[in-house]
Amino acid sequence: MKWRVLAMLCAGVPALAGALGCSSAAHDDERLAGGAAGISGVGNPSPGGGANAGGSASAGGGGVTEGGACVEQPAPQRTQGTLLSLSLKPSLTNLPFVFGQPNALADGGSLVALNLRFYVSDVHLLRSSGEPVAVDLVAESGVPEPYGVHLFNAEEADSATLRLLAPSGDYSGLSFALGIKLSCNQQPPAQLSDPLTDVSQMTWPHTGGFLFLRYEGRYTAGSAGASGASPTVNIPPAVHMGGDIRKELVPGVSVSGTFSIPESGRLEKALNVAMDELFKGATADIDVSDVAVGLLSAPEAVAGERLRRQLSALHVFVFAP
Amino acid sequence: MAKRSVLATVTLISLAPITGCSSDAPALRNEAPSLIDSTIPAGYPKGTYSERAPADNALTLERATLGKRLFYDPQLSRTNEVSCGSCHQQQYGFADPREVSIGVDGRTGTRNAPSIVNAGWGKTFFWDGRVDSLEEQAGQPIENPLEMDLTLTDAVARVAADPSYVEDFNQAYAEAPSSSSLQKALASFVRSVVSGSSPYDRHLRGDDSDFGPQRKRGEALFLSEKAECFHCHPSGSLSNEGFFNNGTYTAGGDTGRQQVTGRVGDIGKFKVPGLRNIANTAPYMHDGSLPTLEAVIEQYDAGGRGDPTTDPQLKPMALSSEEKADLLAFLQSFTDDALLRDPRFAP
Repeated sequence: MKWRVLAMLCAGVPALAGALGCSSAAHDDERLAGGAAGISGVGNPSPGGGANAGGSASAGGGGVTEGGACVEQPAPQRTQGTLLSLSLKPSLTNLPFVFGQPNALADGGSLVALNLRFYVSDVHLLRSSGEPVAVDLVAESGVPEPYGVHLFNAEEADSATLRLLAPSGDYSGLSFALGIKLSCNQQPPAQLSDPLTDVSQMTWPHTGGFLFLRYEGRYTAGSAGASGASPTVNIPPAVHMGGDIRKELVPGVSVSGTFSIPESGRLEKALNVAMDELFKGATADIDVSDVAVGLLSAPEAVAGERLRRQLSALHVFVFAP
Repeated sequence: MAKRSVLATVTLISLAPITGCSSDAPALRNEAPSLIDSTIPAGYPKGTYSERAPADNALTLERATLGKRLFYDPQLSRTNEVSCGSCHQQQYGFADPREVSIGVDGRTGTRNAPSIVNAGWGKTFFWDGRVDSLEEQAGQPIENPLEMDLTLTDAVARVAADPSYVEDFNQAYAEAPSSSSLQKALASFVRSVVSGSSPYDRHLRGDDSDFGPQRKRGEALFLSEKAECFHCHPSGSLSNEGFFNNGTYTAGGDTGRQQVTGRVGDIGKFKVPGLRNIANTAPYMHDGSLPTLEAVIEQYDAGGRGDPTTDPQLKPMALSSEEKADLLAFLQSFTDDALLRDPRFAP
């Protein structure tokens, strides 16, 4: 079943067959999907852990697992809890990164973000003891978000808040998947609802699947840059992470920071999205040629793959002071 | 699922005789029996056709029929000379064959009227996306001084003076004509204009009888990282409903989306149009500045017109003449001839 979409693409678009790996090898689950330990190389959470009735989740084995079916209306982890509201705030060199407007750079140049969006799913809070607690991503109404997925879109202010329904207690951090699980990634967008439709601007039809993170921007060099001096941050024009249905690629993110969730009311916190860290990962000098071949050879896809592999070593997501 | 089937059945029955087509004809354009019950063109977001309408304006025969009457009624312009249908002409894919649309007293704006086909799936409307509902969209051209130049209050007064209109409004909305019901009726008609039987649609449903090798090569190129059309025009709906600067904007021109958001980064961005019937909707781009699809392909092949605000994903492609011909053949597969002639949507 997991290969249905790939098979459709292989059969329906012969020109893509070779690039998609439409050979017998492409059906080798072990090679392409099963080897979780070697897939992402980052400290992933465990989407497939599954919460028990008490609201805790198993820690999993370190690699991303398939995480079950792609369900539009997932059963809630819990019906009662406290709302943890996390505001996502893009930043650049510790200053607010304003979408669509020129952001000053150290070299005197500027950067205008034209597109910035990413998926968040499979959120766990970490008890002070280290125990992960699976929590629901909920809409403002309190019901779980479709597919358990949240789409951050810098163009839409409403999308800048992650709402988590969580049990009270003391925590030392949180973790989440920066993307969507494989079972959703392999579904045709036309058979899914928001935020997993073409309107998300995250669908990638030539390979199938969705992007997990998408960034595009316009960098204008300042006098230092124009004279040849390097800007403080290496800035790629675009970063497209994900977009491949052949593997479980979704990387995990861990964010450290203590907080206490009260038994009632709500807790509001802010999570900075450090664009300079994101750019650092996307421009890292690492070899990704084993993945970035054929249809994934575009510079933005290479940048995305570099970011994906570097993510666990970066501090893209950080609690705001 | 059962609920959906019932809804779809009601929709089919209720919309069938909009303009007197035979009672056994499917209500909306779609040739695949498996899709008739949902009337959704292949590749469009799931959900029945009726479910695309807001709860307070459920789609009914009476509402769509009233909307059609209003759509083609020049009474809705100050001079009684311009109707919605003046700029959204069926034979041109419900777009405007003129470079920019012409309103009352020969007034011209800066934009070419976009097609309304399959607008029921739209997220925002107008080239700059300044409204997010068809109902709200429907009122703006009536009041725009460059278009129909009539207040909604005056438009309502005109139709309210016609007893047959009063009866139609009563049938559709159980109320006398109002600006709200007038806009809702127009939105209902627009929502009923669905294209889903082009060779491309049939191809998506597995019928390649009119989708030969050249079109398939064009499709593969369209979906490739070389042409990169798919970034904005994904398979199926052919629009991601986003806003991009596709290289048409040049300094001093219409800044598009930026006028709505105020963002520097939105200068020159316009809404990505769906491409259904694109071969019939010339001229192209928001300003109607490209007369042919060949010119469109040439502009994209050049990576736009060179303005620094152009989306960075647009780069010169160096397409061969064969590749350009393949792309053109693919674009021509979006033509739904039946829709262009369908009497249910005609004046």
